[in-house]
Amino acid sequence: MLERPDFTELFITHIELSVVALLIAIAIALPVALAIRNTPLGAALAINVGNIGRAVPSLAILALCQPFLGFGFDTALVALTALAIPPILINASTGLREVSREVIDAARGMGLSGSQILTGIQMPIAAPVIFAGIRTSAVQVVASATLATFIGGGGLGDLIVEGTQLNDTTLLLAGSLSVAVLAIITEVGFGALERGMTPKGLKVAQKRAR
Amino acid sequence: MGKVGTLALLQDISSIEDPRLIEWDWIRENFWEDIVPAIQGHIYLSFVSVAIALAISLPTGVMVSRYRKAYAPVTFVTGLLYSIPSLALFGILISIPGITIGPTPVIIALVAYSLLIMIRNTVAGLDTVPAETIDAARGMGLTNRQILFKVELPLALPVIVAGIRIATVTIIGIATIGAYIAAGGLGKMIFDGINTSFPTMIITGAVLATALAVLADLLLLALERRLRPWARRRKS
Amino acid sequence: MIEFKGVSKTYPGSDTSVVNDLSFRVPEGEICVLVGPSGCGKTTTMRMVNRLIEPTDGEILIDGGPNTTMSGTQLRRKIGYAIQQIGLFPHRTIAENIATVPSLLNWDKGRIRSRVDELLELVGLDPNDYRSRYPAELSGGQQQRVGVARAMAADPPIMLMDEPFGAVDPITRERLQDEFLNIQQNIKKTIVFVTHDIDEAIKIGDKIAILKQGGFLAQYDTPENILANPNSEFVASFVGNDRILKRLSLTRVGDLQLEPPNGGTEGLPRIDGRLTVRDALSEILGSGGTKGVVEDNGERRLLTIEAIEKLSRAGNASRG
Repeated sequence: MLERPDFTELFITHIELSVVALLIAIAIALPVALAIRNTPLGAALAINVGNIGRAVPSLAILALCQPFLGFGFDTALVALTALAIPPILINASTGLREVSREVIDAARGMGLSGSQILTGIQMPIAAPVIFAGIRTSAVQVVASATLATFIGGGGLGDLIVEGTQLNDTTLLLAGSLSVAVLAIITEVGFGALERGMTPKGLKVAQKRAR
Repeated sequence: MGKVGTLALLQDISSIEDPRLIEWDWIRENFWEDIVPAIQGHIYLSFVSVAIALAISLPTGVMVSRYRKAYAPVTFVTGLLYSIPSLALFGILISIPGITIGPTPVIIALVAYSLLIMIRNTVAGLDTVPAETIDAARGMGLTNRQILFKVELPLALPVIVAGIRIATVTIIGIATIGAYIAAGGLGKMIFDGINTSFPTMIITGAVLATALAVLADLLLLALERRLRPWARRRKS
Repeated sequence: MIEFKGVSKTYPGSDTSVVNDLSFRVPEGEICVLVGPSGCGKTTTMRMVNRLIEPTDGEILIDGGPNTTMSGTQLRRKIGYAIQQIGLFPHRTIAENIATVPSLLNWDKGRIRSRVDELLELVGLDPNDYRSRYPAELSGGQQQRVGVARAMAADPPIMLMDEPFGAVDPITRERLQDEFLNIQQNIKKTIVFVTHDIDEAIKIGDKIAILKQGGFLAQYDTPENILANPNSEFVASFVGNDRILKRLSLTRVGDLQLEPPNGGTEGLPRIDGRLTVRDALSEILGSGGTKGVVEDNGERRLLTIEAIEKLSRAGNASRG
């Protein structure tokens, strides 16, 4: 008989999966968005890939990885990373492209070099949008990590599955509620971070627009 | 890469794959028995959920756009519901006495998930209607009810449909998980495939679910674009 | 000093030129206004000075040497740049915006700070109030002033301005133009100024370059001469059917050589010496008579319609 799953261990696995998947996704999506920022074709491609990626059901990606990569933590990680990329890619791409053209023209005309414009102007202004994408992705990953249980990836989903199979309401609720709380904390926490990443000048502008 | 080259590459890939990965015979044999019912069940789940969600969120959205004070609490509650991961919400719902496993908790959860985006988009859509337009309508003698149905909602439609689109795609996706608590749908194939180590079922279920979601996304996107003739014309 | 030598620009894939064989010289310390209908290539021409656009033919000399001797980025740090939509960096304070080029040039912090304050005062904004604000908090007119201050920050000898006062209402625009001319009196930069408004060109320019569709130079001369002797139908109609009157607005009545009145000045309109001849004409016509008394620095002199007529004909090449 299986021993009662260790909550702490599952919790840590859940966080591990989420954090690592998110970090890798950022490490992939951001450079891609940067690389294509000046090519309209590349940007359109990124947006389309991103949009289709968002439509794909999380369970489908996790399940599809299983026949090829087997069960386990690593498989879940690959699937979750794939899930995490689209929101970041879409937002980073649109965020960079939406920096107003006059601002970039003024910057160029004053003698800022290409990289100075990117780091000093485009990225700070696009930062809130980019971060909103990261936030969306984070919440999605934490939620989807619950499903990792189905392909042997561990995580808090194990508690829910165990509780359902054993008809153990306590276990079921413990798993469900802890995942719910974790997701809400992620949402709120990243929300606060997002506000922190918005340059003050843009916050002022947003307030005025209202 | 050239036609010949691509074909050769594809042949190479399909021979690299374990021949057990996709058993086309199984698909052919079980097409009408398993696959089609799964698709039907999935569409049923999704459609019912979207319909119910719409029936709730449209009136709520209209009400909230009139009484802005309600916006924050409504958004808070629906946002909270949206944040709860699906499996967890299913778990919580089936813990409630009276709710057994099956389609019911899944539909309840799916509806709950779509409320946030649909209400938010309804409000945003109504916000796009210029005040002058409403003013002109009132000046021409339309009643409030007529203004709502003949002026505001039609103009708000593109944004509302955008919300429906996002909600539908989300619902189709999460409905796959509903199979775990016996709600049927394409998720059943995925779970059965995992449990019996039968990749063909997994891949069929996953690919079909993805196709369904992407198809819905593209169709509703086309609908959304058709509803915005003014945006289209400016481009040409 | 800026010199255009046979400068042309055509975009690949197009057979119409955007700029066509431009040759003219902007003397040091003067404002040259590029003006013309849309499609005449005035903005493109201006942007070739700081190499935001590269010419397909010809060259541009700055102080005798071609503007290609250093990289575009380096060049632009030496040339002030102010555009119509201003383009203030929304995520930086006003002070940080103005300090952009000086920071790039590694000025020390103290010098930057005092320069920012100096420039804010110059454009009429209280440094203590505006230094730490963000662009979103400023009105259009204020943003435009900051745009000019930012362009002047590193004290570049040359400035490029593309409709810098375009984004505000006419009243504010007139104020900005006057203040700008005032500043230029003292600092005498070499300026290439683009506008579509012939009145602004006449008011601001020491020289005007009128450009035609396709980027051809129609006429390059002082405002006076262009108004007095337009060299073609195009120029004549571009400056407007009221060009004679426009020309009269270039002179103050106080600067005219006039006779003192000999008695009999009751009933005649009093004309302040600071008014333009054009406004004076308006006053005289409005009074129903043919004369007016100019009062300037305590002196009184007589202005007649005939005198104004003579003035309007002076310097005209006879056109038959």
